[in-house]
Amino acid sequence: MKFTTNWLKNYVDIDGLSPQNLADKLTMLGLEVEAVTPLYERLGAVKVAKILEAAPHPDADKLQVCKVAAGQDEYEIVCGAPNARKGLITAVALPGTVLPGDFKIKKSKVRGVVSNGMLCSEKELGLSEESDGIIELPENLEHGAQFISATGLQDTQIEVDLTPNRADCASVIGIAREVAGFQRKPLTLPVENAEIKKESKAFSVEIEAPELCPRYAGRLITGVKIKESPWWLKKRLLSIGLRPINNVVDITNFVMMEYGQPLHAFDFDNLAGGKIVVRTPRPEELKFTTLDEKERTLDENMLMICDAEQPVAVAGVMGGMNSEVSDSTTNVLLESACFNDVSTRRTARKLNLSTDASYRFERGVDPGGTINAMNRAVELLCELAEGKCAEDEGVDAFPGAGTPKPVSLSISRCNDLNGLHLDKAEIVEMLESIQLRCTDKDGDTIEVTPPSFRIDIEREADLVEEIARLYGYDNIPVTLPTVNLSYPEQDPVRKLRLETADLFTRIGFSEAINYSFSSPDHLDMMNLDENDERRRQVKLLNPLSEEQSVMRTMLLPGLLENVKRNISFQKTSVKLFETGMVFMPTEEDRLPNENMRLAGVMSGNLHGDKDPLHFKQQNCDIFDIKGCIEYLLESLRIDMDDQEDSISFEIPEQTEPFIDKDQSLILTHGKKTIGELGKVAANVLKSFGVKQEVYFFDIDFDLLASVAAKPKSFSSLPVYPAVKRDIALMVADSVSAGKLLSCVRESREKLIEHCEIFDIFKGEKIPEGYKSVALSITYRSPNKTLTEKNVEKANAKIVNMLTDKFGGQFREA
Amino acid sequence: MEQELQNLEIKARETLSSLGDKDQLEEFRIEYLGRKGKFSTIMRNLANVDKADRPRIGQLANTIKKEIEKLFIEAREAIEQSGDKEQTGTVDLTLPGRRPAIGRLHPVTQIMNEVCQVFESLGFSIAEGPDVETDHYNFEALNIPAHHPARDMHDTFYISDSTLLRTHTSPMQARIMESQEPPLRVIAPGKVYRCDSDITHTPMFHQVEGFLVDKKVSFADLKGVLTVFTQKIFEEDLALRFRPSFFPFTEPSAEVDIACVICKGEGCRVCKQTGWLEILGCGMIDPEVFKMVGYDPEVYSGFAFGLGVERIAMLKYGIDDIRLYYENDLRFLSQF
Repeated sequence: MKFTTNWLKNYVDIDGLSPQNLADKLTMLGLEVEAVTPLYERLGAVKVAKILEAAPHPDADKLQVCKVAAGQDEYEIVCGAPNARKGLITAVALPGTVLPGDFKIKKSKVRGVVSNGMLCSEKELGLSEESDGIIELPENLEHGAQFISATGLQDTQIEVDLTPNRADCASVIGIAREVAGFQRKPLTLPVENAEIKKESKAFSVEIEAPELCPRYAGRLITGVKIKESPWWLKKRLLSIGLRPINNVVDITNFVMMEYGQPLHAFDFDNLAGGKIVVRTPRPEELKFTTLDEKERTLDENMLMICDAEQPVAVAGVMGGMNSEVSDSTTNVLLESACFNDVSTRRTARKLNLSTDASYRFERGVDPGGTINAMNRAVELLCELAEGKCAEDEGVDAFPGAGTPKPVSLSISRCNDLNGLHLDKAEIVEMLESIQLRCTDKDGDTIEVTPPSFRIDIEREADLVEEIARLYGYDNIPVTLPTVNLSYPEQDPVRKLRLETADLFTRIGFSEAINYSFSSPDHLDMMNLDENDERRRQVKLLNPLSEEQSVMRTMLLPGLLENVKRNISFQKTSVKLFETGMVFMPTEEDRLPNENMRLAGVMSGNLHGDKDPLHFKQQNCDIFDIKGCIEYLLESLRIDMDDQEDSISFEIPEQTEPFIDKDQSLILTHGKKTIGELGKVAANVLKSFGVKQEVYFFDIDFDLLASVAAKPKSFSSLPVYPAVKRDIALMVADSVSAGKLLSCVRESREKLIEHCEIFDIFKGEKIPEGYKSVALSITYRSPNKTLTEKNVEKANAKIVNMLTDKFGGQFREA
Repeated sequence: MEQELQNLEIKARETLSSLGDKDQLEEFRIEYLGRKGKFSTIMRNLANVDKADRPRIGQLANTIKKEIEKLFIEAREAIEQSGDKEQTGTVDLTLPGRRPAIGRLHPVTQIMNEVCQVFESLGFSIAEGPDVETDHYNFEALNIPAHHPARDMHDTFYISDSTLLRTHTSPMQARIMESQEPPLRVIAPGKVYRCDSDITHTPMFHQVEGFLVDKKVSFADLKGVLTVFTQKIFEEDLALRFRPSFFPFTEPSAEVDIACVICKGEGCRVCKQTGWLEILGCGMIDPEVFKMVGYDPEVYSGFAFGLGVERIAMLKYGIDDIRLYYENDLRFLSQF
């Protein structure tokens, strides 16, 4: 909503309020000012000029050489405008002036005649988009004066960002009412408390859908002459960015901005049967051309204004081509009505057509202001378009509700909610400053009747807000609530998530956050099978783009995009993790399942891009990513030793299609797979445009969180020394080293404290198809120092067990 | 024997004065002072000396040995000291240290954690809800019926007629109030979505919702809690103002502005010359919302607020392009 300070002054005294002061006051009253813009500052150097003489140019048919007066000085200026004539008061831009569009005026020669400036058209001054001559100003303007001040253009535009509840302020008068309230000054309105007849001989109004049209008024103005609007009217429209068209259209626009009441002018001679019918369209009427020359498809719920035969306007939104006011119009039927907000909104949405009128009806228009605005427009039509209209001639059909209902207000509750201690008199004074009528009820209660334009005030809470607003939010004290102490419960999954994120940052992973929606193409790029569950994605009905059209079912594609981006910006060492939801559909119209996952990627130099001095280039491999997960599980105190409630790494029977077949592991908890890790398949990387190896993990975080952490409990520190024995076994290549380890662990040999692999060797001395695995076993007894004999016995048992089980050959280590 | 001892002393003194490094020191120690060294040999040979001379020679041998040991220790200290110097001379200590690589939490997470910590300290519990919401919780239960103009303030991504991506974290108000009784102090951080994308908007962003419901909670209390919060997150003496606004689920409603952290309230491009920056929306929970969850608005009152995490991070860290948040560029992430 835009208005200017000069326009506002017509209704309320704002002397002593600078535009910025005014803006601040409005903002703090809930009318947030978006911008305060001095208008036409660019035209500051343009002057009012009078053409003293206009003679034909000696060398050009269409040009004239004008002698122009601007104050004391006279200038010779060449002008091509046909309306340049002796005696005309116009505007001149002298050399050095810069006009809108960075158009700098210079002294120049036009066909041999020196021109000392330029006489300006409205277009050149930026006042309109088209003009066919230089601007014609009122004769009483003094030449030499500054153009913008002499013409009253100098003004300040204020733009308010209206909240949906303040429909009453979608007009200059609406703003003026608020100003009058806080300034405690009277409001002067051009027309108020107007009434007209209920019926007319010239035409009739029939409302078939009264629930969608609480009030419809019309007046017939005859003998109208369509022409340009006078300067003052054009100026008003221009000052808020509206383009003047002709007097009739300009008047309806002006009064809409003034009163907030949308008006529509029909060419009465094009209305069949001298009749207005407010109704929904018939099945055969579903095509309708609006006055922007577009054919619209209606539906049977849209409210239309019709004549005796057919629709002539979309109610509250836009008029039709068939009844539009044209240059030849002489009889105008002016409509001032009140349409249902929800219905107007639905229609505007569906037609994808938002207009100044629909904006107001959607928010609600004052049903008590219908006739005031109408009569104001009729006055102007008679004055500026030579129209005729008998004083109270017209039709006012008003099936809707009459006066607003009173609302009761408890003074104590109002004070409690706001944290204030106002007495009744103070509250009444505040409410009455904005035209809310108060009646005293019993001790604590008053009854408040809002004016018809405050359609937003229906409940006590609305009044409490008015008090807070008028008292000033800034004046309300700052206190802390008194509450009973209670312990805020913590969500354990959330806590674990924060802890996990922290753990990853400590080992060099940064946290990524990707959009929850992604491209369906991602799943092709991931090689997913046609029938893969993850292809059943939740789709957006109105995505911004195809790339963001489905809810993700995997985190990895987003992270691979991130890897690509980082590499393309020369960050080739990448470690990223993300915890986020994936979405799996359930039933139609039901919420999808949201599953928290934790995924990460690592690629390039293990040690990062920095510090080649201390860390040699070492590309990460599968053991780095596996180590990260082991680190995570260890940190979270989750067992990895094939115990109950432990998580183990296994080689999957079937590898996911996006993982390298030879470097793929799954994490299992009991029988459940809770995650996977490995090397991203080469063809997947190719699809994502990544040219270096990428290792990843992807874990179902909800499942991970359900695995119990090992409780912390103390066991005494060993007092007897440990003995280490190394064993080297030659086993077939196909035997996995991890099996050897778990075999030792499961042997239940009491003396074994720890077992680890310290070397895998192939080559010389080892036959083809075999490898040597070197294990280091630590033996210790809690009760005594082990003797050579004890250790030998236990060790021999282990060697025998291993060779039995894996057909291995024992080698002297 | 006596002569032998004196020669040994002279020899030892000479050798000691010529020792240059630790290896030579060690050689000397073994040769003279070791278990099989020259002094030990002499001591063992004392048995062959005349009984009468034995105490005197023995004493002499001891004195000389002690003297040589003392000199040896001096020599060793000297060599070790100079050796240390030499060693430090070969290490260029101006070289940077060997730093373990660290990662960073996303700035959005950092701010979100900070916000949560402030409210947890004030006794608020934390709850999280689904990203995909029903129209009921996102709108209806918050007093935003279909075709309410306030729906214009939410460019909504729809999944179906009745399911959508939540446009704010406020649905958590309804979800929690529906299942719990007052008093309540809750904050709900999370992702929200609007179909809007340009320099200042991303289609996904983060909010933290908070609300407090009890008996006799006032607008003044709302001001108090949010003043504490804002000053903890920004600076202690930061000016802030509460400005009337409109949300269908609160009344009175307010927006909170802080003095522009860029220009300190002077007026700049970031604050559009107003000197103020909007950082959150809030208000007293609307009685309609209470009625829908079965609370009696005559008994209970409460306030609610919602803030944009990205916006706070932008203001706090001076980030000037919101799109950076979701590119996950390490050059960006490593700055926080």
